[in-house]
Amino acid sequence: MDIAILLKGVTKSFGAAKAVESLDLAIPRGGLYGFIGPNGAGKTTSIRMIMSILFPDSGELSILGHRSALEAKDRIGYLPEERGVYRKMGVGAFLTYMARLKGVKEAGLQKRVKESLESVGLGDTQRKRCEELSKGMSQKVQFIAATIHKPDLLILDEPFSGLDPVSSRLLRELVIAEHRRGATILFSTHVMAHAEELCDSVIMMHRGRKVLDEQVSVIRRRYDPRNIQFEPLDHDADCSPLRSLPGVERVDRAEGHYEIRLLEGTNPAEAMRHIVQSVAPARIELSRPRLEEVFINLVSGGIESEEQKQQLKAGLTDVTAEAAKL
Amino acid sequence: MKKVLQIAQREFIVTVSNKAFLIGLLILPGMIALFALIGPRVFNMQNFKVEGEIRIVDPTGIVSPELKSTLEKRKDSARRADEARRAMEKAPAAVRNIAGSVPDQALQTALGPVPNIALVERPAAADIQQEKAWLLEDKQEQKHLALVVIRTDSVALAEGKTEYGSYDLYVPKGLDDRADTEIQQSLRDALINARIRARSLDRKTIDTIIQVPRVQSVTVTKDNERKTVGAFNFVLPAAVGMLLFIGVMTGGQSLLTSTVEEKSSRVIEVLLSAVSPMELMAGKLLGQMFISLLVMGIYMALGLATLTSLSLFGLFNPWLIVYILIFSVIMYLIFGSLMMAIGAAVNEMREAQGLMMPLMMMLMIPWFLWVPISRDPNSTFSTVLSFIPPMNTFAMLLRMASSAPPPWWQVWLSIGVGVASVFGAIWFAAKVFRIGLLMYGKPPNFATLIRWARSA
Repeated sequence: MDIAILLKGVTKSFGAAKAVESLDLAIPRGGLYGFIGPNGAGKTTSIRMIMSILFPDSGELSILGHRSALEAKDRIGYLPEERGVYRKMGVGAFLTYMARLKGVKEAGLQKRVKESLESVGLGDTQRKRCEELSKGMSQKVQFIAATIHKPDLLILDEPFSGLDPVSSRLLRELVIAEHRRGATILFSTHVMAHAEELCDSVIMMHRGRKVLDEQVSVIRRRYDPRNIQFEPLDHDADCSPLRSLPGVERVDRAEGHYEIRLLEGTNPAEAMRHIVQSVAPARIELSRPRLEEVFINLVSGGIESEEQKQQLKAGLTDVTAEAAKL
Repeated sequence: MKKVLQIAQREFIVTVSNKAFLIGLLILPGMIALFALIGPRVFNMQNFKVEGEIRIVDPTGIVSPELKSTLEKRKDSARRADEARRAMEKAPAAVRNIAGSVPDQALQTALGPVPNIALVERPAAADIQQEKAWLLEDKQEQKHLALVVIRTDSVALAEGKTEYGSYDLYVPKGLDDRADTEIQQSLRDALINARIRARSLDRKTIDTIIQVPRVQSVTVTKDNERKTVGAFNFVLPAAVGMLLFIGVMTGGQSLLTSTVEEKSSRVIEVLLSAVSPMELMAGKLLGQMFISLLVMGIYMALGLATLTSLSLFGLFNPWLIVYILIFSVIMYLIFGSLMMAIGAAVNEMREAQGLMMPLMMMLMIPWFLWVPISRDPNSTFSTVLSFIPPMNTFAMLLRMASSAPPPWWQVWLSIGVGVASVFGAIWFAAKVFRIGLLMYGKPPNFATLIRWARSA
């Protein structure tokens, strides 16, 4: 398999704090990978090491076949978490400057800048100063700056943070378009819903260590669905018989429906048949395992209290996540 | 290398197209030109004409004819220029050189319009109080400039006295000091003529006797002999030092602010996705170096044009320009890289002040040493200082611009020390730059910067 990013035993410390510990990664060319984990998990440090902005204390890296990203910078697009533009510079001039730094040839450069801006609905901003743009517009310009040279590898660090739902949707489309073009994509996020809906595979980080590196489809298969959402046809119907059905571990009343937890090893299809026979349903569906639940399960060994668990969960979603349902 | 040049090009263009930079660049020469061209007109320095009437009460009867004659002579512009030139011969050599090259017309312009003073003699027994009232008359056909009362012993010594008496001068309120000076100079001339004539002597002979012009001394060195150019030699090192200071501060300050701006606007990591920190630093250093050289070039050209217009260019060693450029590049690279490192380490300009203090001290120390180095450029103190970085560049240039330049091997040794310092400063700055760029939050102190340099 052709590998775009390869990390072997990469470790990085800042003083006494270990930011990344023995990280192994192998991201194939053409992959769309999510780099997920709560804030402080080591995602940005790992990305900065991949980009050769930081250097590891130990371990080996190979980026697009080179020992350092510095040797392949013109083939890599990078949208950092801490991003901005030259405020006083014109939008067109900024993109032209970035394209030149990325090795784009002069021939057709202006046309490319113009078309890129038009593709995100900013065709009329070419002559405006960057400081005149709204935050959303500025984010689009930054995305164009990262992709104007049509990179083979695109690395996005928290690309959705601070975006409104409309901008999030547009950015998602742009990422997918880049992926379709053939770019390998690695993007980090602490909002697992984003990764869940966009990525082929995810890499989960926790406290500087990789806790999971798997395809999303495999994760869904491996972490069996054991939750069924059930809404009775008659809202006043007696649902107590559900508790005594075979394979049912627990029934909890939720808002407008019931959450039915199955015992380990129970066949969900059989359990669902028993449920609809017992109480007439308006709706019944199998809850797919959510990445944040998988993550909590994976790291719960080190978590002692329920409060800690809730804090961790809160760190994996954010206020915009719900609004920005992709 | 291409990326370094692209960054340098952007730095240069953005800086030179900045209004504040253009204003800062042009303000000093602009002010000088404005003062030279408009100043005299605004202050009416050249167009002022001494015109009016003076009254004289002369009990000796000798002074007033002499004064009349003197005033007539001063109406003759060519004679007045001659007198000015004769007076110039008593001036120092450097001033004489300047005056020697001034054409007659320029001298006439400099001296201003010829005075036109009419003299009215009053009886020796006139009532002085009444005469004073004349000064205060409301309606004056001709301006009443002054009342002169000659003392009786002003031409012939009084018995038992060894000094002549002079005169009393009464003027109205608000008389221009240039009119006062003109009247007093004419009176002085008239009195001297009267006294010489009273003793039956010849003014021309006496003038010739008392005239001993200053000469230009010759500096003798082991290698050659050349004319001493005292004041010039003292001023030139300061001018060179100022040039160096302006060059370093223009480029360095620009590097500091642009780096802080790039960091605070969060564009820095976007740039690092395209170039390495070292390329970014090199590009910025190079771009601002051209700014620094541009500013220095403009000021240097203005300075040389001034020297040429004053016919003083011959006193200037053209090789000094080459050395100024070499030392200024060395000094700029040392201070510029350190200032850029500070810019990378802080979050905003305010935080940079504390870290800039040691750098500013290092830039200012040589100014305190200007006088001792210029006075004795080859003393042990001056020699040692010209090998201690980062002061060596400034100290060596001061010595080179002095009247006794150091031997060439010392110059090149100092350049060697400078180049080594440049490598040291860039090494330190590059490490701080790389770490500092991505550090936000608490502003670091100098010890933190050193720790970063060690750990990077």
